[in-house]
Amino acid sequence: MASVKFINIAKSVFFKLEQYDFTKKFLIYSLITRKQNWKNKNLPKTLTGALPNYAHFYTPSLKDSKGVQLKNLFSKLDINISKDNFIFTIDEFKTVNYKYRIADNLSIDYSKVLNTSINELKEQFNDFDDYSLNQMSTLEAIEILIDRIVQKLNASGRTDRQELIDYFENIKTDKVKTFKEALQRILFFNQLLWQTGHNLNGFGRLDYVLDEIYNRDDITKDEALGLIKQFLKSAHSYYEYKSNSLIGDTGQIIVLGGLNGENDYFSNDLTYLFLKAVKDLNQPDPKLILRYSKETPKDLLSLAIETMATGVGSPLISNDEMVIPNLINFGYNAQDAYNYVVSACWEPAPVGKGLELNNVDSFVFIVPLNQLLDSEDLSQFSNFDEFLSSYKNYLIKYTNNLLDEINSQNWEMDPLLSLFIDDCNQNHLDFSEGGAIYNNYGLTSVSLSNTINSLYNVKKLVFDDKKYTLKELNDARKNNFNDEFILDDLKSQIKFGMDNDEILNLTNEVTEFVSEVFKSRNNKFGDKFKFGLSAPSYISKSNVDASLDGRKNAEPFNVHISLEENNDYTELMRFASKLDYSKHRFNGNVVDFMVSPDFIKKNFEKFTDFIKLSLDMGVFQMQLNVVDSKTLIDAQQNPDKFPNLIVRVWGFSTYFNDLPKDYQDVLIKRALEHEGKSN
Amino acid sequence: MKVRVTDIQHFSLHDGPGIRTTVFLKGCSISCPWCANPECISSKIQGDFGYDISLEKLEDEILKDEPYYETGGGVTFSGGEPLLQIKNLESLLKSLKLKNINICFETSLFVKKDYLNIANFYADEFIVDIKLLNKENAKNILNGNIDQYLDNLNSLDLNKTTFRIPVTEYSLNDEDLILELIKKYVPKKIEIFKLHNLAKKKYEILNKEFYYKEVSDVNLINFRDKLNEFVRTEIIEI
Ligand code: SF4
Repeated sequence: MASVKFINIAKSVFFKLEQYDFTKKFLIYSLITRKQNWKNKNLPKTLTGALPNYAHFYTPSLKDSKGVQLKNLFSKLDINISKDNFIFTIDEFKTVNYKYRIADNLSIDYSKVLNTSINELKEQFNDFDDYSLNQMSTLEAIEILIDRIVQKLNASGRTDRQELIDYFENIKTDKVKTFKEALQRILFFNQLLWQTGHNLNGFGRLDYVLDEIYNRDDITKDEALGLIKQFLKSAHSYYEYKSNSLIGDTGQIIVLGGLNGENDYFSNDLTYLFLKAVKDLNQPDPKLILRYSKETPKDLLSLAIETMATGVGSPLISNDEMVIPNLINFGYNAQDAYNYVVSACWEPAPVGKGLELNNVDSFVFIVPLNQLLDSEDLSQFSNFDEFLSSYKNYLIKYTNNLLDEINSQNWEMDPLLSLFIDDCNQNHLDFSEGGAIYNNYGLTSVSLSNTINSLYNVKKLVFDDKKYTLKELNDARKNNFNDEFILDDLKSQIKFGMDNDEILNLTNEVTEFVSEVFKSRNNKFGDKFKFGLSAPSYISKSNVDASLDGRKNAEPFNVHISLEENNDYTELMRFASKLDYSKHRFNGNVVDFMVSPDFIKKNFEKFTDFIKLSLDMGVFQMQLNVVDSKTLIDAQQNPDKFPNLIVRVWGFSTYFNDLPKDYQDVLIKRALEHEGKSN
Repeated sequence: MKVRVTDIQHFSLHDGPGIRTTVFLKGCSISCPWCANPECISSKIQGDFGYDISLEKLEDEILKDEPYYETGGGVTFSGGEPLLQIKNLESLLKSLKLKNINICFETSLFVKKDYLNIANFYADEFIVDIKLLNKENAKNILNGNIDQYLDNLNSLDLNKTTFRIPVTEYSLNDEDLILELIKKYVPKKIEIFKLHNLAKKKYEILNKEFYYKEVSDVNLINFRDKLNEFVRTEIIEI
C-alpha cells in the first residue's frame, strides 16, 4: 500500500517540478522507476530521503562529451568521510545523465585497477581522436574526485588520514603496494561505478586478484581477516541505494576459488578468509560464489557449507567442471574461460573482456505455448509430436521477436567501463559500440519447468491416456481451473525435476531446439546469444495466463531448477546432472533447494559428501535456502522478532523482512512443500 | 520375482553408514504398539499402502543413487521385517553383491534362523532392535517369542551390528537385562531413540490404535550413560 502512495507522491513532486530543468525531472523519474518494484512496506530510506532533497539533485547536461559530463559530475559530488573503516562515499542525489540503457551487471577486472596507475593509463591516450579525448577527460574526472577526497580527508579528524591520503594519491601515480591499500582502491573504483549509474556491480575473483599482493605483504591472517571484514562492511553501505528490483539485489558478488587450468585448482588463504568473514558477519551482502572443481580441498568445501548453514544465503556453488568446457565450446578463449566470473545472479562470462550482457532479458518459455493454445485449432493435432512441433514453431516466432527487440536497443556510451574492458583502449572504440573482445548477450529462462510440465500433461493426459481432449484441458485453463478434478490430474503427474527419462528427454529436446534458434541469430555486434535454464524473474514475469501445468493466472512460476514435491534431494540432483547445458545453454543453471538448518547441523559430514558427489555427477550450479517453514511463518507474522533472518531469493540474499509479501509467500510455500507439510 | 514394499526412500542418512537407499518391505513377524511404520506390519496391500515390485525394477531404483554410495552408503532393507521376504530377494542380493553395493538389514530378529543365515551371507551391516527382553512382555506386547530372538543373536556377526533401542517403558523396565545382554554381545555401537508421534496419521488411516508415551530426557540420558560404559552409544532421532 505504502508503495502506491509513495509513487503517487513521487509523481506529484515530479509534475510540480515543471519549472526545473529536464535533467532534474529525469533524475527523479529514473530514481522512481528504478526502484518502483519495491512493493515493500518499509520504504527505502534512500528514496524517502531523496524526495525532499531534490534541490541536491544533479545530472550533467548531455550536450557535453561523456568525459566532460563525468568531470562535471565528479566536481559536484558531496563527499562523506566516514569516521573509521575504509572510505566509500556515494552521493545518492547526483548521477549521470543518459539517452540509452546503461550497460551494466558486470564485474571489472580489478587486477587492472590495482596494477595500473592513472598516469600509466593516460599514456595510451595521446591522440586527439574522440575516444582518446573522452578517456582523457574521464581519467581527469577521476583525478578531480581523488583531489576532492584528499582535501576532505585532510580536513577530517581521522587519525589515519595520512595513510588514506597516500592511498588516494597513489591511484594517480602508482600500483598498489599493500593489501589494505588494494582493498581501498577496489572500493574506490567500485564506488565510481555505482556513482555513474551502473547497477549490479560484481567484484570478481578477489582472492585471485589479491593473491600476489597478499603474499608480498607481511600481514598476519588475523589482520587480513579484520581488513576483509571492514571491506565487506564498507561494500555493504548504501545497501538500499544499490538494490535493483528488490532490496538486497545488488549484484555485489565476490567469486572465490576456481580452476586456473586443467586440474589446477586455485585457492589461497584469502579464499578461506572471505568465507570466514561472511560467516562471522551474518550480513547478506556482498555475497559469495565458490567456484568448485573435483580438486577443491575438502576443508574449503566444508567451510563453504558451514557458511551456508549459518543461513547467510551464500556462497552459491558454481561447478567449473561444467562451466568452463561449455564456455570454451561456445567460443571463449580457454584462458578467458578459466578466468570467468559471474553476473548477477550467476551467469558466467570472462572477466573484463566484454560487453557480456548476461541478463539482457528473460526468455519466458510458457508464452509461446499459451499463444499456441490461444490461436490454434486444437483438434488438428492427432499425436503429441504434432503438438510439440507446433509449439516449436511458436517458439521460433517468439524467439525472433524477442531477439529483434533486444537488437534494437542501443547502449549508453561508457568511457569509464571502456577504460577497464579489453580491447576498447587498443581499438579506440567505446565498449557500447563494440570495442570489447566479446559482445555476447545472455538471457535467463523463466517458466521452463512450468512449460515442460504442461507439455508432459498434454502428452500423457491427451494423447497417451486419452483422458481429456486438448480442448477440454484448454477450456479448463481458460476458466482458470475451476474444475478441481482436472487441476488435480494436471498437478499429480511426473514433473520437471524428477529423474524420469521422458521428462528429461522432453526438456533436453526443447532447450536444444531453442539453442538451435539462438545459433541462427546474431546480435547487433555480430556476436551471439546464449541462455540459461534458471529463472530469476519467476514472480515479476509471471503475469501470464494460467498454464497447463495447473498454474493459475498470474501465479508465480516455479523457481530455477527445483523440486519441492519430495525430500529426495538425490533425485533432483540426478535430474539436474542429466540436463544438457551445452551449446548456447550455459548462461546460469542453478539448482535451488531448501534445507533446514537443523538438518545440515545434524548430518554435516554426509551432507558435505552429498554436495560434493552431486557436483561431481554434473550439477552445474547450486544454491541452498537454509531455512525452515516454521521460522519463515513466524517471521512473516512477527517481523520484529527476526530482524536478521536472511533468505536467498534468486541470485542474491536479503533480509526476509525486506521482501514483498508475494516473495515471502513463495518461500514459505516451498519450505512447506519441501517439508512435506503442504495440503 | 517380486517383493512387496511400501516405499523406497533415497537419500536416507539414518539407516546405516553413508548415503543410502532404504527399501521398506511390507510385512512384519511381530507388532510393536509404537511401530513408526504401521503400514509395514501387515503383508497385505492396504489401500495406498503397499505394492509389488519386480527385482529388476527394484535394482534399478537402488542403483540410481550409486554415485552417492561412495560415502560408504548403499542399500538398507527395512520394513516391516525385511528377512521375511529374503528368499524372494536373494537373486537381487547376489547381483548387488557383485556390484559391490553395501547391504544393510534392519531387522527385529524375530525370524526363522534360516532367513537370518541367508541375510548373514550377504550383509555388510545389521541394524538390530532391542525392544524389550522379558519373555512375558515379548509375548503380550510384541507378539513375539523372545527365545527365538535370543537364539538368533548367537548367529549374528556382531562386528557388523548396530543395536537400536527404542526407549520405552518396556525397555526401561528391562534395563538390567539389556545391560547384561550388551556385556555378552558387544556390537559396533548402540543407537537409542525416543518414540515420536509422526506416524499418528497413518494409524488413523489404518484404523489402528496408536501407542505413544513420552519418556523423559533424563531417562534417556541416564540410559545412554549406562550403555556407554560398555560400548559407544548415541542418542538419535528417527
Ligand atoms: S519390528 Fe519394526 S516394523 Fe515390525 S512392528 Fe516392530 S517396529 Fe514395526
